Amino acid sequence: MLTVLLVDDDPEFTDVACTIIEFLGHEVLTAANLEEARDWLTKESFDHVLLDFMLPDGSGVHLFDELDALGKRPRVTLITGHPSVRGIIKGLCGPNIDYLVKPIQREEIEAVLAGKTDIQAQSTGSKIKKYFGHLIGESKSMKELYKLIERVSRTSANVMLLGESGVGKEVVAEAIHAASDVEGPYIATNCGAFSKELIGSELFGHEKGAFTGAVGRKSGVFEQAENGTLFLDEITEMPIDMQPNLLRVLENKVVIRVGGTKTIPVNCRVVSATNRTMEAIAESKVLREDIYFRLAVFPITIPPLRERKEDIALLATAFIDELNRENETQFRWKEGQLETLKEYDWPGNVRELRHFVHRAAIMSDPDKTELDLPKTIESPFAKKQSTTPALQAGRTIEDVEKELIYATLEKVNGNKTLAAEMLGISTKTLYNRLHAYGDLSKDD
Amino acid sequence: MNDKEFAAVAAHVHDARKPLNRISMQAELVKMALDGDVPVERAKEALDKIIVSTKDCSDALTQMMDALSDSQSES
Repeated sequence: MLTVLLVDDDPEFTDVACTIIEFLGHEVLTAANLEEARDWLTKESFDHVLLDFMLPDGSGVHLFDELDALGKRPRVTLITGHPSVRGIIKGLCGPNIDYLVKPIQREEIEAVLAGKTDIQAQSTGSKIKKYFGHLIGESKSMKELYKLIERVSRTSANVMLLGESGVGKEVVAEAIHAASDVEGPYIATNCGAFSKELIGSELFGHEKGAFTGAVGRKSGVFEQAENGTLFLDEITEMPIDMQPNLLRVLENKVVIRVGGTKTIPVNCRVVSATNRTMEAIAESKVLREDIYFRLAVFPITIPPLRERKEDIALLATAFIDELNRENETQFRWKEGQLETLKEYDWPGNVRELRHFVHRAAIMSDPDKTELDLPKTIESPFAKKQSTTPALQAGRTIEDVEKELIYATLEKVNGNKTLAAEMLGISTKTLYNRLHAYGDLSKDD
Repeated sequence: MNDKEFAAVAAHVHDARKPLNRISMQAELVKMALDGDVPVERAKEALDKIIVSTKDCSDALTQMMDALSDSQSES
């Protein structure tokens, strides 16, 4: 059950919306203006705020500062009766902010409270099919991925998403949530974004006074995702000494807030993600083995964009359609431009493609339909794709050899036997070279 | 249509949209009553409110037409 604050100045709308929200099993309080909303925020803790964009004493956006200052920031859904401001509102939206445009249907209220968004985006109709409301692609590898999502969505198994940076791990996590028949919300957090001191509070919550600055009680993400989906991004970046606590929660399905003593039962599917390969996880020991097996009951590897190049045109078209809707432009790709996009390897994957399309839209004349593409597609992350200057005149053989050895070691995740084999030298020779570079101690 | 006329039409459209949004919400309530999720009395109240809102919407459109014809005759 969520505690919802509904801020809207139309009493008839709030009356019916309250009936719907209460019917959905949530508790709801109402405010007719910013002043009343601010008053509620000092008295109660809310999981979700449904906030009218235009209120009698100002825009709902003015409440953002107060919401940011709260120990537990509720999810926010902005509501507007003006379809023309959809673009502005969408620009304000982020991971914890959605929007709805009136007239609103019951299913849309249900979807935002459950953290399943994009209902309106789908109904406003893009020609490109979004699988599970989120995923774009008709390639064989994506079809395989859809099959896996469909299968795992029927179970409550924990999922680990593996894939390079930018492949869309969070989007896949949202797709799993959308495909699952769960009542609870989708909650996402990044395990790499918190210090060792704060990650416990983020995951398990804290009691008032648990530590300096804990001015109020805060529920952790496990509690917030009750009966829903918890997405733990960059799981391998979680401090290793915090991992036993996580293991205890995964095994016993109860949390104890930091500074608390009471055990609180929790029930959610955990979808975790990392951009390390399974082999790298095993070798680098960034994740305890017992945690890995708890989290990766169902591991899913998301293919990099270069392995599904046939989807590039679809994705680029979907991104430009989205930008057109937001900015009221009419940009269209030319066939030749899409071919150019396909030729590039996109080392930053879908994220890089999205940014590239966004940049092209900004650089192009908004009154025209043609998109101006830069002459070359470049990325600071593309250096592994391009030819390195290893063979430039003026470099010493020792230099080039050293670079080749390190590149090979990186390729095989540090496995020296395999690296030596690939280099065509004995393992002893490889060790001698590494000693000479000062990279190994005498004991190695 | 100049900026002033456009702003006036936008204000009337806003006034017409408000009862339409109310109708939509009340219709959701009727659906819930038909499914047995809320008492049937709520559906009757909702239908009365829908009728009121349709009149409000019609009034808003009439006012818009009046305002437009006034501005036509002025120019």
